[in-house]
Amino acid sequence: MHEIDCRNIPCPGPVIRAKKAIEGAGGERVRIILDAGAPRENVTRFATSRGYRVEEEQLADGYALTIAAGAVQMPAVPRSPASGSAVVLVASDRLGNGPDDLGKLLMKNFLISLLEVAEPPEKMFFLNSGVLLTVNGAETLEALVKLADAGVEIMSCGVCLDFFSVRNELAVGSVTNMLAIAESMLQGNAVIRL
Amino acid sequence: MVNDGDYVAIFNSVHRVMKAEKHLKEQKLQILLIPAPRALSSDCGLAIRYGAGDREQVEGVLRTAGLAPEEIYLKSGDRYLRVDSEF
Repeated sequence: MHEIDCRNIPCPGPVIRAKKAIEGAGGERVRIILDAGAPRENVTRFATSRGYRVEEEQLADGYALTIAAGAVQMPAVPRSPASGSAVVLVASDRLGNGPDDLGKLLMKNFLISLLEVAEPPEKMFFLNSGVLLTVNGAETLEALVKLADAGVEIMSCGVCLDFFSVRNELAVGSVTNMLAIAESMLQGNAVIRL
Repeated sequence: MVNDGDYVAIFNSVHRVMKAEKHLKEQKLQILLIPAPRALSSDCGLAIRYGAGDREQVEGVLRTAGLAPEEIYLKSGDRYLRVDSEF
């Protein structure tokens, strides 16, 4: 059985190493030593989302996950994240390609409609012209404030806010950076890019 | 997105509702183009929301522009009451 130690490695390192180890194990069991907290949770989520069986053992310092990749792997499981764990990447202030006014209308409609879905996303990242949706004066603000009140984490890219000179106008959620965005995208949750 | 006491004007075409939004915004009226509430589904699924205080102006602008909505509803508690435009 292969064994790798992923303790003391910052996110998303443990998930990336675990993925490589599992995929390179040729169906054999892999034992992965992880720190408690996010590494343990993220690797468990990654493995179960792939249909692998995970056995967990608590150690004096961390956790050991034994992951059986071979027999139980399901073919390309469509990601069915745990409730509310989807990440939405809003990379534009418009939805789809086409006339600007239609794209803006569709984006607004989409965000308002998220208020009515049974399982809203866990996180929404706004970048590039998407940050224009989270600032004062945006017609999408009312819907985004309601989503934030409902527990959706709303985060806008700081570089993008600076580029458009609207950092001081941010009216919902918080400022984030590309590392946090990249990490969230790699954590094994469904990522929906708009 | 539709609060108690708000009005919702339903349109039967995406082009009409976008034109209506443009006219109303030019008049600086407090309106919001929203997906039609599920209870009031329409062909294009779009509606314009406005408050009681803006009702006369909104409906007046729309009538003058030849963009009168198909139907108008008043949100009352959890229900939508069909109303006729008086303007």
